[in-house]
Amino acid sequence: MTRTGSASRSICIAMAAAFATVTTWADIAVGQDKPFAGARLSVLMVGHPTTDAVRKALPDFTAATGIDVDLEVVPEADSVPKMMLEFSAGSGRYDVVEASSIHVKGFVDADYIVPLDDLATRYGEFYDKADFVPGYLTPNTVDGKLYGLPLFGESSFLMYRKDLFEQYGIAVPKTFDEIEAAAKTVKEKSNGRIVGITMRGQQGIQGVYIWASYLWGMGGSFLTDDGKSALDTPEAATALDKFAHVLREYGPVGVANMGWEENRLLFQQGKAAMTLDATVNGAFNEDPSVSTVVGKVGYAPVPVQTDSPKGGSSSLAVFGLNIASASQQQEAAWLFISWATSKKQQINSLDTDPNSGVTSVAAMNSPAFDKRYGAFKKAMLASLAGGNPQYIPTVPRANEIVNNTGIAVSKVLAGTASAADALKEANELNNAALTR
Amino acid sequence: MKRHGMHHISRNHARMFYQPVVGFLALAAFALLGYAIWLCLHNISLMTTKGTQFVGFQNFVRLATDWRGLQALWRTVLFIVLATSFEVILGIAIALFLDQEFRGKKFVRAVILVPMIMTPVIAGLTWRFLFNAQSGMINYWLSTIGVAPVDWLGNPNVALYAVLVADIWQWTPFVVLLAMSTLETIPKDLVEAARMDGASEVRIIWHVILPMLRRTLAVAALIRAIDSVKAFDLFYIMTKGGPALSTETQNLYGYTVAFTNFDISYAMTIALFLTIVTNIALMLLNRFAMPKGVR
Repeated sequence: MTRTGSASRSICIAMAAAFATVTTWADIAVGQDKPFAGARLSVLMVGHPTTDAVRKALPDFTAATGIDVDLEVVPEADSVPKMMLEFSAGSGRYDVVEASSIHVKGFVDADYIVPLDDLATRYGEFYDKADFVPGYLTPNTVDGKLYGLPLFGESSFLMYRKDLFEQYGIAVPKTFDEIEAAAKTVKEKSNGRIVGITMRGQQGIQGVYIWASYLWGMGGSFLTDDGKSALDTPEAATALDKFAHVLREYGPVGVANMGWEENRLLFQQGKAAMTLDATVNGAFNEDPSVSTVVGKVGYAPVPVQTDSPKGGSSSLAVFGLNIASASQQQEAAWLFISWATSKKQQINSLDTDPNSGVTSVAAMNSPAFDKRYGAFKKAMLASLAGGNPQYIPTVPRANEIVNNTGIAVSKVLAGTASAADALKEANELNNAALTR
Repeated sequence: MKRHGMHHISRNHARMFYQPVVGFLALAAFALLGYAIWLCLHNISLMTTKGTQFVGFQNFVRLATDWRGLQALWRTVLFIVLATSFEVILGIAIALFLDQEFRGKKFVRAVILVPMIMTPVIAGLTWRFLFNAQSGMINYWLSTIGVAPVDWLGNPNVALYAVLVADIWQWTPFVVLLAMSTLETIPKDLVEAARMDGASEVRIIWHVILPMLRRTLAVAALIRAIDSVKAFDLFYIMTKGGPALSTETQNLYGYTVAFTNFDISYAMTIALFLTIVTNIALMLLNRFAMPKGVR
């Protein structure tokens, strides 16, 4: 008994000694230029081409800083609940999380994430603030302080089939009425063979994300200036009526259950003449390995019906990397997020992945970008310039508001309620949520 | 005297084995239930900075007046009743059919169990593709006989039944399995005797076979009912509760409240309420619908 005890003890001591030696060597090798070598970061990111590019380049980061990264990649819908549970428990489980900028305000109010300006001045080796598209920095800034580095971003625009428009003599729509007229012409002249317009109609964020274009373009908004729900307005009702009508009359069968993928595939397969969706769809339209409409698609800004909109009718969505307040290694975390969003890494990502959502001006101006995404670059930049960062509400209760609004959109699209009634219901639920 | 002592000791020994386990399980169950009730009486939301307050029965009052929750409850009940009855009836029919002797019986029996062992995610995705309004197989088959495409998952009057079909497809084999194993234990001479007496096949099934299957079917129905209360995976994958809330069950609503709205306390209230309602319903079912032997 004693003998085994002492034997295992001496093994322990030997191992500890060996470990200490290794660590000392490592310290000597690292020196001063890698102050956080040996740190191990836990990072939660969203499944996306940008994330794939970051993952592929991780060895470069470890080589440059000596920091190891444990990367966890989950679908967008699962990422928020995951980080919320860890944040609210203050667990420090994740050092870095990737989140849409619509959550930033809520995270800051709840003290879940830290401001980055101080870290940026202390460790600036990867960081160049001037290289970020300015419109992507704004939604990550609260009270003048930067809380997230933009990793990828996108806007929305109208995609239409140039060949069909020419064949049927249709001009590019500038209002929602013109969209409906164009959809009608396509349906009639193709004898219903080609769908006039396809959009996402699935209940929840999918449908709301697209309908929001109609809402803002009609002069409506989600919230009033004093933070109450603004969905019981005539503008909102008209927006929902027009959205549902064009889809029910000239849209695809099954639109009420269509999300991003279904909608994208339908358009890529040449079965629809128009779609209104995120700019990232352009990358899929122009990719010959997945698309039958390469070179046939025109890109235009999202239509506007009113002369005085309260905000732009194209979206501005930015996903940023944030550092958790509960993280014990915020400096190392900063090095990671500034490296992942650096000019060099973003330019590199264009070669490894279909990443049209770069946030770096230098990457957007690179030859690789022009070669791949030149077909829609101009329209994308125009959409970004007029992109509305409040497109989807950014208050802490945003999810619940989107959820309630999604039910209204779905009901009208399915024909089970009138736009005015459905929106009145959503309005009451939203106001209840906002005061809760 | 001695024998009594032995008996006493051995019983004590047995107790030493199971008591800690029972005690631990009870402790865990009560601790969790206590925590659940504590959550229901507070206003914990991950999206607010106001801090946690005791709110009494406010969450329960909110649920009682929440039309969305009440509609979801009604939909859950409808789904349980339809799914359970279809699965049990179809299951017996298939089991009776398979009880005949025919070539390839073993193969058919193996094939029929496939849906049950399939992961719910795969089953849900398969049915979602089959029901796809644009390019799904079902609409394609219908088009070959001249039927216009049906918007299976996008029409609020149809979507719940589309999910129901998938659930029936996946879980009827379970009833078949239970019924078949019982059918094999039924003495063949009883059936033969009835046949000798000139009873028709329908009468044999009704008066001889079914009464003997009663216990099995009661258990199968109970298990299927409990499972359909918990049904979540097929709904989540096929419709996510849409369109127009037409497939949102109480379970799915609780999930949305918890993981979209982050309203933890209210979500727990919904879950607890569903648990209570289910328990009462199952107790009633047990009391009135079950034969004595099963209880």
